[in-house]
This record gives sequence, structure tokens and C-alpha cells, in this order.
Amino acid sequence: MLSRRTSRAAGRTLRSRRSGPDAIHALAKQLGEPLLEVNDIQGNILAGFSKDHQSLIALAIRDVGAARRWLARIEGHISSTAEVLQFNQLFRMQRARIGADPPGLVATWANVAFSHHGLERLTSRAHANAVPDAPFRAGLPARAGLLGDRAASPSADPTSEWVVGRTGQVPDVLLIVAGDDPTKLVDLCGRLRPNAGDGRGAPEVIWEELGETRIDLPGHEHFGFKDGVSQPAVRGVVSSGPDVFLSPRVLAAPAPGEVEFAKPGQPLIWPGQFVFGYPSTDGSGASGGGPVAPPRDLPQWIRNGSLLVFRRLRQDVAGFTNFIQAAARDPSLSAIAGMSPELLGALCVGRWKSGAPISRARNADLPAIAGDALANNDFLFTVDTPAPILLPGMHPPSPAFPPALADMHGLVCPHAAHIRKMNPRDQDSDLGDQFDTLTRRILRRGISYGPPLADPRTDDGVDRGLHFLSYQTSIESQFEVLQQNWANRRDNPTPGGHDIIIGQTDDQVRTIELLISGGAASVPMSAPTQFVRATGGGYFFAPSIGTLRHVLAGGDPL
Amino acid sequence: MKIARLDPPGHIDDLATPALQAAYSKWLSDRFDVGVNSVTQFLTAHGGGTSQFYNPVMHGRTDPDLAPSLGDISWNGFPKRFLSTGPGAPTHFANAEPAPAAGRTRPQDEYLEWFVHRNAAGKIARLDFTCEGYDYFEFLAGHDEAKLLALYRTFVDASAKKTDLFSNGTYNIKNKWNTKHGAMHLTHPANNLFAEVFLAASATVRRKKPGGGEETSSIPLIRCAEYGAENRNSDPNIGRAVNGLAREKRMITLANPVGLYMAAFDGAGITLDGAAADGFFRVTRGTFPLALRGVFELPPALAAAGKTVSDVKIGGTSVEFGGQLAQRITMHLVGVASVAQPVDNAPAVCGGVPQVGSPGAIVGTPLTPRTAE
Repeated sequence: MLSRRTSRAAGRTLRSRRSGPDAIHALAKQLGEPLLEVNDIQGNILAGFSKDHQSLIALAIRDVGAARRWLARIEGHISSTAEVLQFNQLFRMQRARIGADPPGLVATWANVAFSHHGLERLTSRAHANAVPDAPFRAGLPARAGLLGDRAASPSADPTSEWVVGRTGQVPDVLLIVAGDDPTKLVDLCGRLRPNAGDGRGAPEVIWEELGETRIDLPGHEHFGFKDGVSQPAVRGVVSSGPDVFLSPRVLAAPAPGEVEFAKPGQPLIWPGQFVFGYPSTDGSGASGGGPVAPPRDLPQWIRNGSLLVFRRLRQDVAGFTNFIQAAARDPSLSAIAGMSPELLGALCVGRWKSGAPISRARNADLPAIAGDALANNDFLFTVDTPAPILLPGMHPPSPAFPPALADMHGLVCPHAAHIRKMNPRDQDSDLGDQFDTLTRRILRRGISYGPPLADPRTDDGVDRGLHFLSYQTSIESQFEVLQQNWANRRDNPTPGGHDIIIGQTDDQVRTIELLISGGAASVPMSAPTQFVRATGGGYFFAPSIGTLRHVLAGGDPL
Repeated sequence: MKIARLDPPGHIDDLATPALQAAYSKWLSDRFDVGVNSVTQFLTAHGGGTSQFYNPVMHGRTDPDLAPSLGDISWNGFPKRFLSTGPGAPTHFANAEPAPAAGRTRPQDEYLEWFVHRNAAGKIARLDFTCEGYDYFEFLAGHDEAKLLALYRTFVDASAKKTDLFSNGTYNIKNKWNTKHGAMHLTHPANNLFAEVFLAASATVRRKKPGGGEETSSIPLIRCAEYGAENRNSDPNIGRAVNGLAREKRMITLANPVGLYMAAFDGAGITLDGAAADGFFRVTRGTFPLALRGVFELPPALAAAGKTVSDVKIGGTSVEFGGQLAQRITMHLVGVASVAQPVDNAPAVCGGVPQVGSPGAIVGTPLTPRTAE
């Protein structure tokens, strides 16, 4: 096997002398990473659609036979990882040549997922129950209370006012349709939706919504913060060249036993964390994040599938803005150097609105660092972050960017800041060390919905927020740990308060501890009402394309 | 931190007289001294340096300390060793709570143990949670037998007798009321107050990293320093947090009252017949965030109607094991670190800090630090 160092460089330029499927198997073996079946894995999971427009279409299965025929009709539109990767590669090539986004190059993608109920209808209860995740089997309405969701009336079902996915109205099927061009997106949605030709008893659309990146601030969510800066990298080989790895490697190999990063701040995680049937990451810390084989008894039809979490999160932009403005002026926070609404927002999130991490820019936003993908996620918490050692040919970030210094106590980035809660990085959590944290990571594929609020201090009554979407193979150990164990509790992953942005508590009150006087004292800051509430969602299984074609559409026995 | 006296865990009011309180303080202070002396000797033998762990009674410091939350170290109450190892792999709840047997240690090694009371039909009637070190109870046994017996009668069984608790005049931490029929306090050999003190002391020793520099990661650190078991939520986390404070050159001790505590219980999503199970978990000794004992049971009206804990659901999943509730408990201890950064010890080579000396008369069970079993 090639050494890690050689294989990392080789992965970028190696071309196999042999050709055909054997060659790529041999290459994967040489590089010590799994061969990802990119033609069988749906494209949004590992590659990610990353489009400015994305529609969600929720359907209920009426007649099973009609559902199968409809699935057979649309199955050819379901995009694979291979397609999305190829498009992204072509896009990058053209952008490099033109110097801007290529205007004529557009893609429209579609993926599909099924709830436990939907899967049960298309296969059997026993097969639906074979998906190895208890929350998926229970469905989101049964888990909503655990996540801290609350209805307006305390004794009511937390999902009772949801617009999609409430108890008793869980969609069977969720289509994700995404595209660069809204007209083409509308067109594809039209083709995918059941029509008269699909017959009576065809699945019925029960909810549909278009999400779009903010036209005024692309890439920023409705509170104004750049979103999606930090995604984990995934190990795996996807082709024999020129881009061999799914996640390109730009860093030299680390010392043995240390977390390996693809890019600064982007740890490499074994694909089994996100796609069934592949090795996952050992979270015990004993093997330095080495692979753990998937369960031997995993049914074949579940392989190359994933679990999808969808949460429709309504955001109270005016509420958030006004709260932050008022709280920043509160005398109790006057001891915090440079206190301002902008700083307070950055302390609650962990990044400034530009996306610059507060760990590298304590006093003011630094948009330049936010714009550098090799710098904007390069920070650790417990030690001074060393400069990245890049592979030859990589363009290093500006040496003028301030480094992130050791911040074990949270003087710079509070322990309860949203990004520190969601990813404790090199810090231990209540569940384990940094390798355990790798096993909690998720792949986020969300997008905003609703128009931006013109004046962020004045509510206009319009529903806006985030279509939160994440992929993982254990909703229980990944998504739910992030929301339930970490965002919602004061003491986890480390003591320091609740997540002000997405935390949910019994009485809505969330409190963050802000340190003053070099750590000699702390000041609690509380938000009395939530700015983010769930108004819909579901837990779904995103099958492999083969399972979709043969089992779900084709009705092949399992 | 400088204090006149070390108080019992959670400031619990077990110690009725000033004499008893003074005796307890001395008892615990002696254990701090063993920690300090052991570290001092280790440093002397390995390149020199000053112990960064101190006894807040005998050598208290008056200069200011960091905010309390900065010494707060938390971990999940369910034993890591029984957790799922990856997607699709189950958590081994049954293994974490084998059938109680007289004299048998519970395999729950995160400073939290629980006892499952089942009714005649095998349904769970009640869960008792305890995080009280067995050495605290050995102290009580040696100083106030009446109080010891009263606690057993109040919290385990009213029919407990003194002869049940003692064998050959020595308090038996694994007596039947603390093993087969209930849980008054912790039984696991690593779950004692002295172990907490010694772990904190050992973890203040800075360590070299093979290949140069200083060790900062929690698993390599615990392997190097041998202060606990790596397959726990608690030890690596505690050790690494304390060591981080030591790397910052601070002087470190444990906050008063010294103990291991339940910081919080997360009741979100716990329901009975669709209604929130509010108030089912009650703290019965101490108070959050310094809770020593808790119980999970139905209110009398629901129990009278024939419902049991087995009817309770967590996020739609029925409760079959006490461990499912243990997972909802956050455990913690609180360290104290100086604002000043006065001590810059050179990192030492690997190897556990040997215990030097013995903290006075040991009653019953030999005290064991938190090494791997």
C-alpha cells in the first residue's frame, strides 16, 4: 500500500495504467480507502447538489402498484453521485477558464427518499424495520419532544401545527429537486410530479415548497450569517483520475494517531458515517479514527443508502435582530470588550456574518478570511492552531490572517457558541474525545426558504427560514446528539450554556455564559424566546439507485 | 482557593456535629495530601518541578481563581464501554445492568450507578441512581454508625439491620442492601472520592509527547499518564481538562464540596401515554447541579392505576433498562484553577504517578485509584 503521504499526492494526479473496473478497485486498495459506488449512491448525499434553487415535494402513497409505476417512470431522473461529481468538475474547469461562473452551464438534479411508513408500504414492515436506526423507525413526530420541539400549548403534540410531517400525516416520499435555473427546476418538478398518466391511485403531493438562496446575500441564512462553511470531508475513491478522491486532499499527512484533514478544519471521516455499507470511523479514540467495518448482517438493499433528516425551521428574524440589539446594550455585558450587536451575534454563532470565525477575528469581522476556503475553517480550540502544511502547488492563505490561539476556556469563542456546540473539534465532549466527535458529524444540504426580510428589525408576518437537510447513517448518534445532547443542554458538550440559535428548552429560555476579566468571571446572557422553531420535517431513507429501481419501483422481492 | 474546612459532598447534612465535620474535613484533607505528595515525589524523580495540585485547606491560596464554569468538567452517565460502536451496532443496555447479586459490583464505571426495582410482573417500578463514593460511606461507618443505618433505612429498606452492613466489625460496601436489594452508594472499585482526588492530582502532571512537544490529546494523555481507563466518558475527559489547566501553568484543586455529582437530568421527550413525564425524576439527596441521589418513578396516582416505568417512552422508545435514563444524566465534577500562572514545570516522561503514603487509617476496602480494571 502506498504510504499516506505518497497516496495523498498520488490521489490528485495518479492515472491508472490499467483500465476498467479492476483498475479502480486496485487503485482504491492501493490508497487504502473504500471504492465508493458513485453510480449507485444518490447524488445529494456525498457530492451535494449545492444549487441556488431547491424544491421539496412531499407525497403520500395511495395505491402501491400505482406508486411503483410512478417511481419506475421517474427513476431515470434520479441523479447519481457520479453525475453530480462530473458536472461539478466541468463547472470548475469552465470557471477556471472564464474566471467567473459559466453562464450557460446549468444542471437540474433530483433525489428521492422514503419515510418508514413509505418504505413499509413498498416493501414490508419487517423490511422497513431492518433499517438500523431507531429514530428513523419511530419517525420524527415520535422524536420531536426529545428534540425539544414544543407546540404553542404545552400539552399538545409538538407537531400539531406543522405544515408537513405532523403526526398522522408523515409523507411517504420526499423528492429533492435542485437546479441553477429556476425555469428548468420548475420544468423538472412538473415532470416528476404524478400526473394523469400515472393513473388514479398515484401518489399525491401533500406539500411542496421552494427553497432559494437569499437573492440579496447568497449563501447567507436569514439572520444574516454565512451558512455551510464547515462540512466534513469523506474518505473514498470515486474515479481513476484526475480527481481520485471524493474529497480532495490539500494537506500533508498528519503524524500517526492525529486527526487527518482534507483541507484545514475539514476532517476526513470514513464514509460509513454517511452511506450504509462502508466502514465508519472508530469513535473510541483507541485507533486514532481508524475504520470500523459495517455490520455484516446489513441487508444488501440498504447498502449505498443513507438517512435524511429534514427539519423545516422557521426563523424569527426581527425577534433575533431586536433581541441582539437590546442585549448588546444591557449593562451586564458592558464588561465585554468591544460589545456591540455585531460582536454579540458573533459570540452566539461563533462566526461573524461574513463567515469569519471569531476564533481568528475576535474584535471585528474579517471578510477576507471568510473568503478563503483554506483559512475560514482552520481553527482548533484547545491549542494554538498551527499553520497548515499544504501539498505542493496549493495557494497558501495570507500570512496576515491572525491565527487561532488556544481557547480552552472559551474567552474568544464561547463554549455555547453555535459552531462550537455543533462541532467541538479538538476539545473533548461529554461523550468522548475528538475522534468520538468525528462520529457525530453530519453532511448538511439545506437551503433557505422565504424572501429576505427587508428591514431586519420589523417583522412582516412572512414565513421564512431554513429547509434543514442532513445525511447520516445514524440519526440517533449523529443528528439527534447534536440537537438533543449538545444544543439543548447547558453542560454539553462542555459546560457553558445552551445554543442561543437552535437550542430548545422546557421554557424556551436559553442562556449562554460569556467570560470577562480574562476568565475570572462569567456573565450569563439569556434569550427568553426561541428565534428558530420547527414547523415541519421528517426522517427518511434515501435508497441506492439500484434499490429504487429494482425493489421500490420494480417490486423485486427482498 | 483557601478554605477552613472541606465539606461533605453536596453540602449534605449527614454530619451532625462540629466534631464530625472536622473529622471529615481531616479525612478528605489527608487524601488531598496523598495526592500532592505523590505528585511532588513523581516530579522530583522526573526532572523536578512543583506540584500544581494543592490542598485548599492546608495550603490554600488567597489569590483569585478562574470563573467556576471553567473548572466544570462534564460527562455522560451511561458507561461508554457498553455504547454502540458504530452505525447499526446496538448499545448493550442489558450488559450494563446485570441481575443484582449479593456482593457483586455493578459494572457502571462513570461514577454513576443505578438499581432497577421490578415488580412481580417483571415491570420496572422504580430506578434509583446514586453517585456517592463508597469511601464516604466507609467514613460514616467509622464515625457514625447510626447515621449510616438511618440512611440505608430511609433510602433502601426500612428493615436494614446493622448486622447486614458489617462483616467482622468492618463495613461491607457490597452488603446485600447495596447490591442485591438496592443501591445506597457506588460499588465499582474505581468509583470513590479518593480516586477523584488522585485523578485530579495525577492529571496536573504535564507530559511529553513522543517525537517532541507536549501531549495534549485525551487518549494519548491517559495512556501516557495511566490515571484511569480510556474507555470511559469520565476519566479521559477529566484528565485532559485538568491537564489543560496545568499546561496553562495554573495551580489547581477541586472545588468545595468535593464530590461527583449529577448536574442535570434531561426530561425532554420522556412521556407516559403521550403526556410529559414531568417530575418523574426527583433528586433525593443533594440538589442540582450537586445532586447525589435521584429516583425515577411514577407519581402515586399513576402507579396506583397500574402504570409502571416500563410504560414510559423516551422519544417513542419504551423504557426497558435503567441505562436509558442514565443516558439522560449529565455527570460532573468541578475543579478550581488560579488566574495566576505561576508554575512552568517541564513536561515529564510517561508513567503513572505512584501513590505515596496512605491517608490515615483505611477502613475496609483498600482505596484504588482509577486505573483500568
